[in-house]
Amino acid sequence: MNALLRGIRASAAGDIERTGPETVVRRYRFAPGFIGFLGHFPENPILPAIVQVCAAVSLAEEEGGKAVRLAAVRSAKFLSPIRPGEEVSIRCRRRVDSGEDIYDATLSVAGKTSAVFQLRLAEEETPR
Amino acid sequence: MPASLLIPHRKPMRLVDTLLSVHEDCGVTETLLPRTSMMADGEGKLHEVAFMEMIAQSYAAFNGYRDLVEGKPAGEGFLVGVRRLEITGRAYAGDRLLTSIRTIASFGGFAVVEGSVTRGDETVASGIIKLWLMEDGR
Repeated sequence: MNALLRGIRASAAGDIERTGPETVVRRYRFAPGFIGFLGHFPENPILPAIVQVCAAVSLAEEEGGKAVRLAAVRSAKFLSPIRPGEEVSIRCRRRVDSGEDIYDATLSVAGKTSAVFQLRLAEEETPR
Repeated sequence: MPASLLIPHRKPMRLVDTLLSVHEDCGVTETLLPRTSMMADGEGKLHEVAFMEMIAQSYAAFNGYRDLVEGKPAGEGFLVGVRRLEITGRAYAGDRLLTSIRTIASFGGFAVVEGSVTRGDETVASGIIKLWLMEDGR
């Protein structure tokens, strides 16, 4: 596991909650010293888009109990910046489309949607 | 030209090292991530999300260079969207990765950019990103 993933998992602020047959939600709080803020940006720290995507992949992986890899970002919209210390709720809904595992993810801060994306995940072929 | 002169990102989140070429609406950058990169796991494999950031940072370097040539401060840009980013290969710490970008549209402070990341002869990722560009500079 890479250092970014370790940092993301250490930033979880609660357990994984199942809110539907294929839907899970988890809260995170990324502290000012979180590795993903380092250098992004020195005077204006915001949570990088790739960290947001990585957190959703990590949640799907933890929920499914098996290693996955990101095969595609079908679409993504990053609507508002996420600052250090804010509580971020990540909701992931799994569905199968044409035989592919699709995850619809929504990130929200204080009830306001900050990012939405649709990811295609595939089983990781080699152990991490 | 070193990307650190062109973009506001700093290590460890700066994934692009050098802007290699600029021609009209296109640019090419180089990335060589060390084993200690936060994107590399125990075997040195880079997380796939890194490719998305390489495309975004490559456009930022390209745009920063154009600003520099025009005598303007390098403007900031934010990734606001991604479409059809397909990840078709793997990359490892120590690999020389080249990212090619091409601006396909610019309007009202937004840029739509096509990008791909290659490792040797293999394309490991390609897709389209959308950025919002701040006009006032840093």
